[in-house]
Amino acid sequence: MNDYQTTVGIEIHCELKTNAKMFSPAKNGYTKEANTNINEIDFAYPGVLPTINEEAVRLALKAAILLNCKINQTMYFDRKNYFYPDLPKGYQITQARTPIGVDGFLEIKLNEGTKKVRIHDIHIEEDTAKSIHHNNKTLLDFNRCGVPLIEIVTEADMHTSEEAKAYVRTLKELFFYEDISDCKIEEGSMRCDVNVSVSKTNALGTRTETKNVGSISSVGEVVEREAIRQIKKIESGNRIEEETRRYDEAKKETVLMRKKETGNDYRYFPDGDFPPLVLTEELIKEVTSSITLLPEERRKILENAGISEVNIEKIIANKTLCDYLLSLNTNLKIASNLLLGEIASYLNTHNKKLEETKLTKERLEYIVKKLETKEITNQVFKDILISLFESEKEIEEILKEAKKDTIDDDETLRSMIIKIIEDNEQSVEDYKNGKDRAVKFLMGQIMKSSKGKASPTLANALLIEELEHKK
Amino acid sequence: MTDYLRKPIKEIHELLKKKEIQPIDLVKECFERIEKNAELNAFITLNKEQAIEEAIALEQKEVDNLFFGIPIAIKDNIVTKDLRTTCASKMLENFVPIYDAEVVKNLKEKHMIIIGKTNMDEFAMGSTSRTSYFGAPINPWNRKKIAGGSSGGSASAVASRMIPLALGSDTGGSIRQPSSYTGIVGMKPTYGRVSRYGLVAFASSLDQIGPMTRNVEENAGLLNIIASYDEKDLTSAKKEPEDFTRLIGKSIQGMKIAVPNYFMSDIVSREIQEKIEEMIERLKNNGASISYIDIKHLEQAVTLYQIIGMGEASSNLARFDGIRYGYSEKNCTSVEELYKKSRAVGFGEEVKRRIMVGSYLLSGKNAKIYYDKALKIRKEMQKSFQEALAHYDFIIGPTTTTTAYNLDEEMNDVSKNFMDDVLVIPVNMAGLPALSLPVGFSKEHLPIGLHIIGNAFEEAKIYQLASFLEKELNLDLEGGASHE
Repeated sequence: MNDYQTTVGIEIHCELKTNAKMFSPAKNGYTKEANTNINEIDFAYPGVLPTINEEAVRLALKAAILLNCKINQTMYFDRKNYFYPDLPKGYQITQARTPIGVDGFLEIKLNEGTKKVRIHDIHIEEDTAKSIHHNNKTLLDFNRCGVPLIEIVTEADMHTSEEAKAYVRTLKELFFYEDISDCKIEEGSMRCDVNVSVSKTNALGTRTETKNVGSISSVGEVVEREAIRQIKKIESGNRIEEETRRYDEAKKETVLMRKKETGNDYRYFPDGDFPPLVLTEELIKEVTSSITLLPEERRKILENAGISEVNIEKIIANKTLCDYLLSLNTNLKIASNLLLGEIASYLNTHNKKLEETKLTKERLEYIVKKLETKEITNQVFKDILISLFESEKEIEEILKEAKKDTIDDDETLRSMIIKIIEDNEQSVEDYKNGKDRAVKFLMGQIMKSSKGKASPTLANALLIEELEHKK
Repeated sequence: MTDYLRKPIKEIHELLKKKEIQPIDLVKECFERIEKNAELNAFITLNKEQAIEEAIALEQKEVDNLFFGIPIAIKDNIVTKDLRTTCASKMLENFVPIYDAEVVKNLKEKHMIIIGKTNMDEFAMGSTSRTSYFGAPINPWNRKKIAGGSSGGSASAVASRMIPLALGSDTGGSIRQPSSYTGIVGMKPTYGRVSRYGLVAFASSLDQIGPMTRNVEENAGLLNIIASYDEKDLTSAKKEPEDFTRLIGKSIQGMKIAVPNYFMSDIVSREIQEKIEEMIERLKNNGASISYIDIKHLEQAVTLYQIIGMGEASSNLARFDGIRYGYSEKNCTSVEELYKKSRAVGFGEEVKRRIMVGSYLLSGKNAKIYYDKALKIRKEMQKSFQEALAHYDFIIGPTTTTTAYNLDEEMNDVSKNFMDDVLVIPVNMAGLPALSLPVGFSKEHLPIGLHIIGNAFEEAKIYQLASFLEKELNLDLEGGASHE
């Protein structure tokens, strides 16, 4: 089985995050009530004509720039003709001849380094209505009809489930961070079609397309399952046929939907309702400059701040948090620990947003500074946590009150330390042998026995002094 | 019966202003005329109650423009809110639109009164109006003759003086050819001059709405009202408003006019050629110069029209699927069956033929062989027109190759029907403005039209030339009307 190579290409449809639809002024937004975000254009009423949503064109352009595509500065729209109840015009407006972007790439990170997945093209089109099957009848909800979409088509450049997942994850992260799309795979605002083929030679095998795969992990599973299925089929003497499949997540297998009919003919032709749309240099510049810090650049900053990989991923997974953290002018590592730890749990328990509390940016930066210089202990921070969120008092005041019972007189602290050293002879031996962790361990004991009230700076100094005596 | 509607609109306007008459007088007279001419079958739907109501309401308003309170008829492929719009098809027999076309909004803003919806070829597909689900409209000059098409109802209504003004649409001559057959003035404006929003699409890159009137000045006046930039139509041209009547009455001295040799070749009947030659002499005698030229691919126009027009039509008519509006076959057990039966029954023969041919032409390799090639030839033809119009003020010729023919003439010779439009189609391909002006009669006393093609967005100049000839000729064009 190992002499087969799996090849994967992925097509992703993304709903753009715009106020209005692609070719009509109706609202683009989720709503529970069916057929409320529609007008005569979405309904393909006789006599109506399309207009172009500039906001959507900008977002599509941004996506094309992010994917390093060549931009088609003079764009046309084409009609893809077919009959289906969710397609009221009997054709979909798309870009067959002049996709907004071509020949791009997306760099993905893998365990063994990075890889460029080539982008064949990215084009603008419109979403269809939603069919809802109910009591043997089909109901149509046109709210989604005409929502702006971009479709991103890769070259057949991926070979493993790891690569396929990394591609979808990276693309999703990029579009989400740049506000191009909600990228909710589960809710359908991002939809993945996975093309898989296997071959023993350099020539590509016949591929199957698995439509609408419901999550990133499923994308990986589809690649694996489909490769195994195809290899088994070939090995048992059968040929793979071009077909459309879907993924059954429960059974963890792909299921045949339909064979690709030969001569499936969409009768593409230029849509006469659109004059050519020109993307000026100026617009391209403007959109390029609207691109903010990319997820990879953010990772670098966080990495340089000494934040652990686990925490970096937690931060990146939460854009609001990431934006907030990067807007702080302070020690990012300490700040991220607070934000992911005590602050997050306070907000969770109280079901609040940070901006609904008294913990302003300035307060947080102040506290982080104090922790960084060890002017306060973690215990002090924990003690004042509630006040930080809820008290109107000046931050200095809050701190002063908390520090009232800090043990910071030489005498008390020293006697406590001497006792601890006596109780921990092994650590003293370790220290003599030059093991750093002995100090850390003993400091921990000091904090424990002082219930965290010992001044860390003073305690540390006294501990070293006493240990040196023992040498 | 009163006789206000035979007066020029300027005079009617004065009477309205002086309160000597009210809009209701015009509306009543209009419906009387329509009733009297019912056998011409010019209208599909009348807007009687609503029109009377509006006319009475107008009595409280100030007469603020030339067309205030003037009755108008609308071709039945232009949607009118709350007024049935059928496209002369069984498919839309009971279709009542929820919005007004942009042109209709413009008319209503000027307080014009919509009298009814005029008969036409089904979905504007035809050149005789005989493909109408409601039967063909008749030529008032000779009741055995067609009124032309596809705007045959509008032509018949204006020619018989049931109404002074009407709107038509022109995809391959559908305003100019019936205007020529019925002795009225019909203008197809520059592509983009008039919003297409609300015109039920036939061939999107060719369709244009235009005015059909008794005379040149009123034609220009009506264009003043319907021409507007519309942001709902991406192909609408952003132009400063202008008065299309402004050059009327100005001299034509020194004007350079071209006549394509093809327009005066054997395809045109001898009688019509002679009439056009007579016009050419007249123009020469009045200081215009005439040159004979060649425009590329004119003889291909019909082929281009069939490929581009039917290709676009096959896609534009896909929305009539029996699901959201229009004819819907009952008791179907699958969507497929619903599509097939609704479309098979809802559409007439010619429409179905064009959809099938159009679909075929766009299928697979055919798109490259036919459609792409047609677009290329269209571009070259367009360029050839542009080059000619860079040197000449106008291109002229006959509007049609023959005068109106018999209603019972064979309809199944499809290519013959298309050949009727060989002289008018090139203008749609090039997106230029062109007007048909009645310039005389055949031996049978059927009207003959002169075709005046101008440069893009130079409609005012076309009206200048047309009004000059109109005044010179001073024809009695009321022959089509039946009077007391």
